[in-house]
Formats: sequence, C-alpha cells, structure tokens
Amino acid sequence: MAKLNINDLKSIKEKVQKETALRDGFYRVKVTVHMGTCGIASGAKEVMDSLMSEIEESGVSDVMVTTSGCMGLCSREPLVTVEVINQEPIKYEYVNPNKMRQIFRRHILEGEIQTPFVLARGTETVH
Amino acid sequence: MNAEHSELLKEFTAEEVATLDEIIARHKGTPGGLIPVLEEAQVALGYLPASVQKRVAKGLNLPVSRVYGVVTFYSFFTMTPRGRHTIRVCLGTACYVRGGKALAEAIKKEVGISEGETTEDRRFTFESVRCLGACGLGPVVVINDDVHGRMKPSKLTEVLDLYS
Amino acid sequence: MKVFRSHLLLCSGTGCHASGSLAVKKELVSELEKRGLSDEIKIVETGCNGFCAMGPIMVIYPEGVVYMMIKPSDIPELVEEHLVKGRVLERLLYREPITDNIIPTMQDIPFFALQNVRVLRNRGLIDPEKIDEYIARDGYAGMAKALTEMTPDQIVQEVLDSGLRGRGGAGFPTGLKWKFAAASQGDVKYVLCNADEGDPGAFMDRSVLEADPHAVLEGMIIAAKAIGAHSGYIYCRAEYPLAIHRLNVAINQAKEYGLLGKDILGTGFDFDLEIYQGAGAFVCGEETALMTSIEGKRGMPRPRPPFPAVAGLWQKPSILNNVETLANIAQIILRGSAWYASVGTEKSKGTKVFALTGDVNNVGLVEVPMGTPLGAIVYDIGGGIPKGKRFKAAQLGGPSGGMIPIQHLNAPIDYEKVAELGAIMGSGGMIVMDEDSCAVDMARFFMEFCQEESCGKCTPCREGTKQMLEILTNITQGKGKPGDIELLEEMASIIKDTSLCGLGQTAPNPVLSTIRYFRKEYEDHIYNHRCTAGVCSALFKSPCQNACPVEMDIPSYIALIRDGRLEDAYKVLLKTNPFPSVCGRVCDHKCQSKCRRGKTDEPLAIKFLKRFITDNASRPKIEAVPVTRKEKIAVIGAGPAGLTVAKDLAIRGYKVTVFEELSEAGGMLRWAIPAYRLPRDILTKEIDDIRALGVEIKCKTRVGKDIPFAKLESEFDYIYLAPGAHKSQKMGVPGEELNGVYGGVEFLRDFNANETAWTTGEKTLGTKVAVIGGGNSAIDAARCAARLGSDVTILYRRERNDMPAAIEEIIAAEEEGIKIEFLVAPLNIVDKGGKVSGITCRRMKLGEFDRSGRKRPIPIEGSDFTLGIDSIIAAIGQVPDLSFVPKDSGISVNKWGTFDLAEGSASQTTNPKFYAGGDALTGPDTVIGAIAAGHQAAIDIDAAIRTQNNEAPYEEPEEEKIIIPFVLDEDNPEAPQTKMPELHGHERKNSFIEVELGFTLEDALKEATRCLRCDVEVE
Repeated sequence: MAKLNINDLKSIKEKVQKETALRDGFYRVKVTVHMGTCGIASGAKEVMDSLMSEIEESGVSDVMVTTSGCMGLCSREPLVTVEVINQEPIKYEYVNPNKMRQIFRRHILEGEIQTPFVLARGTETVH
Repeated sequence: MNAEHSELLKEFTAEEVATLDEIIARHKGTPGGLIPVLEEAQVALGYLPASVQKRVAKGLNLPVSRVYGVVTFYSFFTMTPRGRHTIRVCLGTACYVRGGKALAEAIKKEVGISEGETTEDRRFTFESVRCLGACGLGPVVVINDDVHGRMKPSKLTEVLDLYS
Repeated sequence: MKVFRSHLLLCSGTGCHASGSLAVKKELVSELEKRGLSDEIKIVETGCNGFCAMGPIMVIYPEGVVYMMIKPSDIPELVEEHLVKGRVLERLLYREPITDNIIPTMQDIPFFALQNVRVLRNRGLIDPEKIDEYIARDGYAGMAKALTEMTPDQIVQEVLDSGLRGRGGAGFPTGLKWKFAAASQGDVKYVLCNADEGDPGAFMDRSVLEADPHAVLEGMIIAAKAIGAHSGYIYCRAEYPLAIHRLNVAINQAKEYGLLGKDILGTGFDFDLEIYQGAGAFVCGEETALMTSIEGKRGMPRPRPPFPAVAGLWQKPSILNNVETLANIAQIILRGSAWYASVGTEKSKGTKVFALTGDVNNVGLVEVPMGTPLGAIVYDIGGGIPKGKRFKAAQLGGPSGGMIPIQHLNAPIDYEKVAELGAIMGSGGMIVMDEDSCAVDMARFFMEFCQEESCGKCTPCREGTKQMLEILTNITQGKGKPGDIELLEEMASIIKDTSLCGLGQTAPNPVLSTIRYFRKEYEDHIYNHRCTAGVCSALFKSPCQNACPVEMDIPSYIALIRDGRLEDAYKVLLKTNPFPSVCGRVCDHKCQSKCRRGKTDEPLAIKFLKRFITDNASRPKIEAVPVTRKEKIAVIGAGPAGLTVAKDLAIRGYKVTVFEELSEAGGMLRWAIPAYRLPRDILTKEIDDIRALGVEIKCKTRVGKDIPFAKLESEFDYIYLAPGAHKSQKMGVPGEELNGVYGGVEFLRDFNANETAWTTGEKTLGTKVAVIGGGNSAIDAARCAARLGSDVTILYRRERNDMPAAIEEIIAAEEEGIKIEFLVAPLNIVDKGGKVSGITCRRMKLGEFDRSGRKRPIPIEGSDFTLGIDSIIAAIGQVPDLSFVPKDSGISVNKWGTFDLAEGSASQTTNPKFYAGGDALTGPDTVIGAIAAGHQAAIDIDAAIRTQNNEAPYEEPEEEKIIIPFVLDEDNPEAPQTKMPELHGHERKNSFIEVELGFTLEDALKEATRCLRCDVEVE
C-alpha cells in the first residue's frame, strides 16, 4: 500500500462513507421486498438479488432495502413496495428481476412511477 | 557457567533454554528491554525461577538483584510453577459489590487451595485480581483467557469442569 | 462497490466476548450462509458499545434495532423474523427496568439517548480493525489539519482554549502540560499514552482502545507535533489482551498508510510509536512510576520536580496523557476549541466518560457533559437500583476517591463539585452502592487495595496504609475502640501530606469520605457492634436476624420447622416478639431484604414461615407472674409499643396498668389495619396472653379526660407514653372540611368501630371514592372502600416505585380493581351544598431529587382536571395527638409533634419520670419498630429503677434450652420463593375475610429447605 497524501485520505473517506451510510439511518427511498414463504416461492429472492445488483452498479447510497412478510396477497407475489420519502408508497405486483430493474431505474432513480406494474398506491404501509 | 546451565536444565528442556536465549538476544541492547524479556520468558517457560533470572541478568548485563527486584515488584511475574489453568477471580470494586468475595470463598472450597496456590496435580492455580475491566458482567472469574461473567457459586462446578 | 441491504453490528468488546459474542457470530455466519443471505447482509464486528451488562448486543441497520443478550440458539429465529420477514423479534429487545416497556431502537433507549458521545462517538459504529471505516468518520482529518495548517503553538493554543483537562484523574489542563513540554529544550522528546487503567471499576480506556484505537493514535500524533516529539509509547496493561491486539492492528494499518512513521502525509513530520505492556502494578498508573517502568525498572515514583515536561522518560522532556484525553484531541483540532467548550461547566469543559457499575440496572459506559447531575446518571441513564433497593452512595474515583451519598443526587458532576464533596473525578469509575453496602467495609476494601499496591518506597504510604487497614479491619470485626475514628482521621491527614506520589496522597480519601457521610455507621460498629447493612459478618449470626429490629432468631425457627418441632419454634418466636402471629401477617419484613438467598434467586418468605408456626403450633400456656416489686408502672396507649413494655415489665415482677382511650386494645393493629389482613381474633389472642401475665388494660380511658394527668403522675412511679399517631395530616386544600372528606386513619377507625353500619349500607362512601396518598394507610383505606362496593381511585403525586406502601399491598389493590393515578396532586375540593361532589387535581412532573433520593413532584401549570366523586379519603400521613400532655409537664414536644428524648437516652423523655416510644416518638413506623421501642423502654425503665435502688442489674431467668438442628444440604438448587395461597379476586369482593390463606405443611417445608443457614459456620 502506497503512503497516503491528504487527497487520498479524502477519497477513502468518501468511498467508505457510502458503504456505511446505511448506519446513519438516512435514506431517500425505502424498498420493501415482501418475502413470506409464498413470496420466496414465487421468486422474491431473485427480485431481491436483482435489486441489490442494481444498487451496487449505480453506486447510490440513499436507498434502504428491507423485507417484510407475506402481505396476504399471495396470488400476486412477488410484491415490492417503493416508498420515496414524503410520497405515498407504491406497491408493485408480479415483480420479476427484469421488472425490478426497470422499477429501480425509472421509479427509484428518476421518480417515474411504473404504472403498468402497480397494484396499489396509498398511505397504507406495511410493518 | 556450567553449574548455572545444569541448574537450568534441571527445570527446563534444552529447547526451552534455547528459546530463552533467543528472547534475551532479541532484546539485548534495547533500553528498557528487561521487562519485555521477562514477559516473553514467562509466557514461554511458565515461571521465572532464580536460574532463569540469573540467565537473564547475565544476558542483559544487569545485576541479578535488579532482575529479582523487577520480578518481585510486578504481579504478572511468578517464581513458582503454575497450574495448567489459572483461575483468577476479580475482586475489583464492581465485582466485590456484586458478590466477588463469596465467589472467591466458593472457589477456595471447590478446588481446595487458597489464593496464590497451585493444586497438587497442577491442574489449577488460583489467584485474585484487581479489576479486569469487565465490570459490566460482575462478578467475573477468568480461567486462562476465558472470561466467565455473571458468575454464581452455584455455577462453579459446571464451569471448572470445562478445564481438565 | 459491494452494497448490502443490511449491516449487523455485533459488539465484540471484552464484555460481549465474555458473554459469548463469538459463538453468536459463528451461528450468524452459518445461518446467513444457509439462507443464501450472505451477499445481502454484512456482519461487522465493532468495539464495545458500552452497554456491557446486556451483552452480547447486536444493532441491525438501517433500522437501528438493538437486540440484547443474544444466545446462539436465538439466531435462526432472529434471522427468520428480522432479516427475512422484516419483523422485530420482541423477546430480544431492551426492556426498561422500571416500567418494563419494550424499546426497539438504540436512539430511544434512555441509556443511549441521554448520552452525548464525543470520545465514544465511533463505538459500535465502526469496525475497529478497519482503518478505512475510521477515516470515513472524519478519522485522521484532525491530524491532517494539525500537520498541514497549524503551527505547534497554534495546536497548543487550541487545546488550551478548549479547556480540556486530563481525564486520568488529576484534571490538570492538557494544553498547559503540552505548553511546558513544547517549551523544553531538546531534540528528543516523548509522547506517552497512559493505558494502564488500574482503578477497579473503571474500564473506559479499555473500551476506547477496543472500539476506536485510531482515535488514540491520532491524538498522540497531534500531541507529538505540538511538543516536537518523534517517538512515543502506549503503556497498556497486560490484562487487556484484546485492546493490545486492536492497537497493534491499528498501528500496523496506520504505518501502511503512512500515517505513522517517516514523512506523515508527505508533510515531512516523523512520528513512530510502540506498545509497552505493563506487568501488573497499580502504582505504574502514576506518571513518574510509569516512566520508570518503561525504563525497565521497578515502577516506583520519583520526586518532582523535575517534572516530566522537563525530564521525563530517559530524562528527556515527555508528556503523558490518558487514553480518554487523547481520544478528545482530534475532534478539538478538527471542530475547534469553541465547539468543544460549548458543553460542560465553567471550569470543566466537554464531556466525561463514566464506567457505571455496581448496584445499578444499566451497567455500562456512559458519556455525558460535565455538570450532569449524579442522579441523572444513576437513575435516568442507569435505570435506577435493581430489586427496588435504595441508593446509598456512588463511589467516584476508585480507591483514591470518595463516596457521594443520597443527599447529593442533584450535584452537577464536574471536577470542582466532586472535590467539594470529598471525592475525586479520577478516571471516571462510578460504582453505585445500594443500602446493602457497608461504608466501613468499603473503606476497608479500598484501604486494603492501596496497602497492597503501595510500592513501598516512602514510609507514610507503606506503613500508614498498613496501620489504617488494621484499624478498619478491627472495626469491621467488632474489635473497634473508642477513639479509632479520630485516630483514622489523624493518620489520614499525615499520609495525605507526606506521601511521595498520588497513590499515597489519595489513599486515605475513601476513609475520610465515609467518615464524613457515614460517621454513624462507624460508631454503630464500634460502640454497638452493629453493621446495619448486614455486611460485616463477624458482628452478627445471620443477616436476617441482624436486619430485624428485635433480632428474631430466624434461622433457628426455620430449622425447627424443617425438623417438625413447631412448639419449640413458637417458643423461639416468643423470646423476642410478643406478637408473632401479627408480625407473620403485617410485618414489613426487613429481614427478607437482606436474605442472602436473594442474591441467588429470591429471598426466603420469612414472614409467611413465621405465620405458619403460629397458625399450626399449639400456643405455649401463659401463667400469671406474681408482682414482686413495689414500683408501679403506667402505660398510655395499648398499641404494640405499650403492650410490649407492659409484657416485659410484668415478667420482671412489676405491676403494670395500661390506659387506652378506645374501646379495645391493639392500637393501629386493631383500629387501622383491616381485618382482611389481620383477623381480629388473631390479635385478640396475643393481647389476651399479655393480660394473662397480670397486666391490667383499662380501655375507654383517655388520659386528661377520664383520668387527670396529674393523678397518673402521682399514682405511678414511671409512665410510658405510647399514644401512637392517630390523627391524619391535613392536605391543606380548600374544601377539606366538607362532608364526605375523611382522614385515612379516621375512616379506618370509624369503619373498624362500626363495621356493621358500614357493611349494611347505613353508612356509605358513595359510588366513587378518591384516596389521596401512597402509603400503607392509603392502600388499606382504598381496599376497604373497594370492599364496601365503591369504585376507588388512588391519587398519588409521585410514581409507582416511589410509593411507600409495601409492593405486595399495591399489587393486591390493583388485583382488586383499584385504579392508581400517578403524578397528580389535589388542588381543591368541589363543594355541592356542603358536601363533596368532586376533586380538582393538578398533574405533576418529576424534578430534582429530594433528600430521600426520590424525585420531587413539580406542578404542571394548566394541567388541572376535575374528577366527579362522592367521597375523599386523605391518607397522606399521620401525626400524634399529644394534646393530653400538659404544657408544664416538663415533657418536651418538638415541631413535628413528637416527643423529644433526653440526651443520650433511647427512650427517656425530658422529664425523667416519663418514657416514650412507638409512632408518637418516631412518627408513623412499623409494628416491629414499635415492639423494638417497647423492649428498649422496658430495659431502660427497669435499669433506672434498679440504679435508683442501688440494686444489681436485672438478670434474665434461665431459659429452656432448645437445640437447633442443622442439616447440611449438599445441593440446594435454585428455586423461587414459595407462593402464598390466596383468596381469588372475586371472593374478596364485599368480604373482609383474610386474603392470605397461610402456608400448607408442604409449602412450609419446601420454603424452609431453601434457607442457606448463614448462622452456621461449617468447619
């Protein structure tokens, strides 16, 4: 490892800060992948993997990913809820890895709700 | 030289003596090297009897009295052989307030020796120490390097059985 | 960049290691692997997060949920619930010790929320073995600024301006220390870090080194730049292997990055350092001794001057700073001295880390601004004292410090205040002690520590500590002598003034501090051979007996129960207690709070066992004692104090007459305690036994009305005054005189006198009743009112755990449907045609601590509300009615309306013919307290008579010898207290039948077997 100078110190800081930003509890978008037994059986895990790789590729640090159990609509799984802070949550149905990538790029990054996949919108949140 | 060497060999193997010499050689000439030498020697040999102290004194070119003075000053060093396992009961204030004294009594009863002694079968050496900084878990017993927190006399047998 | 949806921050400080965090981690790794989650979820091992008592601890981000006391077997469920299903796993969350509320996230747990972390800012947040994570949180930025933008003078000035003072103990301004060293001439200087944390009970340095080692390195580099040093040492105790390991990792990483070594950050500045392992000697925490130790010699202090800033290690200019001090430095440089000084007090700036340990619910590391009140640390952050015990004192500064007692809970903790109170800040060890700690024993403990750790170089410390220890040991063994306290004080001042180093100079502090605040405890040990805390076991047979005001021989009667000898057990009871069947029901059982069994699982149910004997043994036959003495004794008041005096004196051959105003004897036992707690026939039998001895009890005879005071004075030789406290205190609110407002004892007395009228509805409280107060009388009144069919609400101005009533009574009241409103006080009573129709109350909040260690209620303006009610029972306290005592009697009554005693006597009033005891002397107290007072007065009256007659002192007649069996249980497995069988809630409605049914034989044997027989010494 080469000796650092002041600029190196700053760039390490910026890079690692992104990786650990999660621990500061700050985020702009919260994505919930519903992973009950039914969700996993219908492919929620693959949806999660595609979401994680999208986040990784894009380098964003303000998206929080969380999971929750079955929300009762097993027939429409996999389900994903996207909640941009201060906006109503949007629930997407029948999500697959491709749709997930599209939702990530268009909705999460650019703010454009992907209407064709939407199951419901509204203030109802899943705990 | 020979007399001293054979005295050492009564207690330690030739290999152990060689390790000791290596430790001494590594620190020779470093100012303040005596304590690190003794620390390493104690880890390697288990204890520091007079024969070892003489060897160290000679090696570092110090009077034996200086070495002896240091060995007896610091509680880390011991001049007698120790048990395979060291039981240290913490009698720091936090542990004391939470029942460390009763625990020490129970250990005494359990292993049949007093503080500072080693069992005849060399299984245990029993000591008390001042605060290990694990006050959150008091009372604490440390066996070798394992910290056993929130100890009760009733849990002792079970814990000691882990060390044969 | 690898992204994870969740970070699991698992604490792996020494504390959590010891509680098994390694096994938890292993299980976690394999569980994540098994479920294919390893790519989404990252495990980070952090340093100590300070809440050591609850380890192993794991925080899950981004939610910030904290799980505590995790076992490996919890992991599959935890992963399934939290990480897969996204639900928190409640059973592993934090519970508030007092309210039992569940709190899921770190920022909401008071232990964390009320802290202000600067030194500990990275704890639990970064992986201490990854320098990048430190850098991400501004790590090495302060150093970069110091090396590139500041001159050494500017650095020193910034630290001076910040007001930072040495956190190792003495509180010397850090900037000043640096200034001196910077001014010293020489090419070779040293920066030393004192990590020889030796104060028992202090572990913040260990924690900082384990959680954030780079912060210490960064501070040292800045210090080196400031004074012009190029090498340094960290002197760390060998007892801290994990800290040493983390330091080594940190040093290597810093060297690799070029943050240590030659030409740091390309600035041309060189600094290198190494770790020096201490070999275990407390004195090496002293700066000159530490330097001598690094030089490879016996670590003995040397006289100053020369000061280390001029001639320190190897005689070169050196500075020595403590770990916590150094961990503050980078922040001060980066954020400026003004930021640093923005918290704290006038002379003590910034924050201080305390290691909060001992008898406190939340044990751990606590960082708060200087000036935070002691009570806020112990109660708000620390969660108070476990098992509902009382705070006694906090020891601050370890063996060099002192105790801060209950009356100073509001003291703002900073260097000045702590010194004023006789303690020292020290390194910040704060050991909380409850009522079960003995001040003399603690002083002995600390003195023993100092004596063992004294290096022996100077005589006052070497010999003086030895002699002080000997005196203290003698006192704790009952061999104390008059003059010992003064001798200790004198020796303390000599040792303080003449010792060479800090160890000796501060060694007497704990002794001086305990004498200052707990002198009475010393005197109790020396003169009465009593250790009220129940610690100094040489002074008593067993802790339960020691705690009992009449020293009942508890272990013996419990052993006799096991042996099936209940008649003998009854005899043992009667030796010290004339009312065993009463006490078996209503005693406040101080004995149980000291029971050693309570340290293992739960204390013995001593009270219930006592009742079992009286319920099941045949009563010993009482025969009249012939009157053999000419002196005549009058007793005023037939309560427990008066009847005890009467019994004791009758046994000694005196003629005793008891005058009682009410229609039956018993005092509060008859007129205040309801029958569902103490059935009348039980009490009557015990009073009849006293009559049977020959004591005459004249009821319905009020002194001053039915018989003149003067007549009494002339007809009797000695008079014992025990009229009790039968008058309720006034609330002092408008409307108190209205119909439907009762005093607590007045209501109970009326109810007990006219039970039929009340139960048939001839007399009534109405539908809704408010009871004011939180003591036993309030609960008694409330439970009576509820039995009469009223809907009862208790209004209490503090919180539940402040209620003086017995906890079992509070629980029983709640079971019976009584509501308790906390933090409300009455403001006025609503008048409707001369009768109560409601009560207006104001809500309260808790403010500062009062002298009893409870928080004082403060009214909240604008929070008033009115409750519609039919009756009010005000049970906020009782006072004696001493109006029968003539002003010119020579019997002095004080401003609290109780009797004054003659100097040096425990029972004689200011008129030598009159003695006094019970509630009229002490204010409302317990039955057993009154009995103890009665015994005392009997001894004193008898002794006064014999002295006057030139007779030999009284000798007790030879007692029947009862042999106490002893069975040694090889194994006494943990088991909770045996439950008392009770009437069910619905059976209690409208009924005054006794609620507690009494132990069965099986219950009693089971419970008696739990006794640890502390009274027996087994060789």
